[in-house]
Amino acid sequence: MVPALALNVDGMRKARAMVQRGRSVVLFDPNRLIAAIARSGDRQAFAELFDHFAPRVKGLLMRGGASAELAEEVAQEALLAVWRKAALFDPTKASASTWIATIARNLRIDIARRETRSRLSQVYEILDEEDPERPDDVLSGAEREARVRAAMNHLSPDQYRVVELAFLEGFSHQDVAKRLAIPLGTVKSRLRLALSHLRGRLEDLR
Amino acid sequence: MSVVHRPSDETLAAFAGGQLDEGLAVVVACHVAADRRSRERVHELEAVQGALLDRVEPVPMTAGPPDPEHRTPAGPHDPAGLPTEPEMPAVLRPYGLGPWRPIGIRIAMRRVDVPRAEARVFMLRAGPGIALPHHKHTGFEWTTILSGAYEHEYGRYAAGDFDEADAEHVHTPRVDPVEGCTCIVAMTGGVQLQGWLGRLLQPLVRF
Repeated sequence: MVPALALNVDGMRKARAMVQRGRSVVLFDPNRLIAAIARSGDRQAFAELFDHFAPRVKGLLMRGGASAELAEEVAQEALLAVWRKAALFDPTKASASTWIATIARNLRIDIARRETRSRLSQVYEILDEEDPERPDDVLSGAEREARVRAAMNHLSPDQYRVVELAFLEGFSHQDVAKRLAIPLGTVKSRLRLALSHLRGRLEDLR
Repeated sequence: MSVVHRPSDETLAAFAGGQLDEGLAVVVACHVAADRRSRERVHELEAVQGALLDRVEPVPMTAGPPDPEHRTPAGPHDPAGLPTEPEMPAVLRPYGLGPWRPIGIRIAMRRVDVPRAEARVFMLRAGPGIALPHHKHTGFEWTTILSGAYEHEYGRYAAGDFDEADAEHVHTPRVDPVEGCTCIVAMTGGVQLQGWLGRLLQPLVRF
C-alpha cells in the first residue's frame, strides 16, 4: 500500500483516482459528494465520503493518543454530522478536510468530556455562525488553504512533528517533550519557531 | 473596535486545536469573536488541522458507515444559561451566569459557570477611575475587555483586547476615567490579592 503521505499530494482539491466496478474512473471530489448529500440525501456519496474520511479521522485521533474505541466513535459521529450538516458546508470558507477536521475536534471534546457536560463545542459553533462574511477584505477559504499548505511545506521535519503533536496531543510541552524525548526548552523554542515560521510565511503569501 | 493586544500564537493554536481548558477557552473566544484578525488566524490554524487530516495514515474502521437515515437530526442548541443581555458576547450563551454582586464601591463581579473547568471564570465591572487590586498569582490570568478600558504597566486595554498574563506579572490596572470597564477573566492557580479590595475579592475568586 502506498503511504498516505505520498498519496496525499498538496492542493486543496486533492483528487484521488478511484476505480469503480473495474471500469469507470472517477475523481474523489469531496465537495461534490457533500453537495450530493445536501441536495438529495445521496447514500452512495455518503458511503464514499465515509470510506475516505472516517479512517483518516480515526487515524488522526489515534495519532493524538486517543484509544481505538474513542477514535472510532468520533469518526463515526463526525461522518454522521457531515450527513446532517451537509447543507451548511460552504466550500468558499474552508476545504472539506478542514471542515471535517473542525467537526471532529468538536466531537472529540463532546465525547471525551461527556461526563463534564462541556459546552465548548457550542462556543466554536457560535463563533462560526457569527463569522461575518467580508468577501472584500478577507481571503477566500480556498486561498487560505493553499497558503497554509504551502507554508506547512516549508516547515522542517522537526518543526512539522512538533506542530502536529501540539495540535493532536495538546500543548502541554511536558507531554510533547516526553513523546519526542527532547528537552522541555527545545520543545518550547521549536514550537514557537514553527508557529512563527508559519505565520511569517502566511503573511508573505498574503 | 480596534484591537491592539492579541493572544500569543501558541494560545490561538491551542484554542483552534480544542486543547485549552474550557475556562480559558471561553475568554479567548470572547476576544476572537471581537477581533477579525485573530479570527482569521484561528481559521488558518484550523486549515493546518485540515492539512494534518489529509496527510495522516488512515486506520481502518471496525464498523462500516452507519445508516444515516435512522439518526435524529441535531437539535438546536440547548443553552443552559440565562437569557443573554444585549451587550453580552454570544459565545457566553451556553453558560450560566451568576448575578452581579457588588464587591466594593463601584465594582461588581458575576460568576460565569463553566462546569469542571480548571480556570475560574468571572466578569468584572468597575466604575470610571477605579484602581483594581494590586495582585500576584501562581497561574494564568487571561482577560478580554468587553467594554470600556483599563491601563497597566503593559499598555492600555480596550474593548476586544486580550490580556494574557502569567505568574511573572504583577498587575495594578487602572480603569478608564470616563468609560469604566467591563471584562471577563479566567484564572488558574491561586491568587494573592493585596489591599482592602483584595481582601474583599479573595473569597470570591477562590474555588
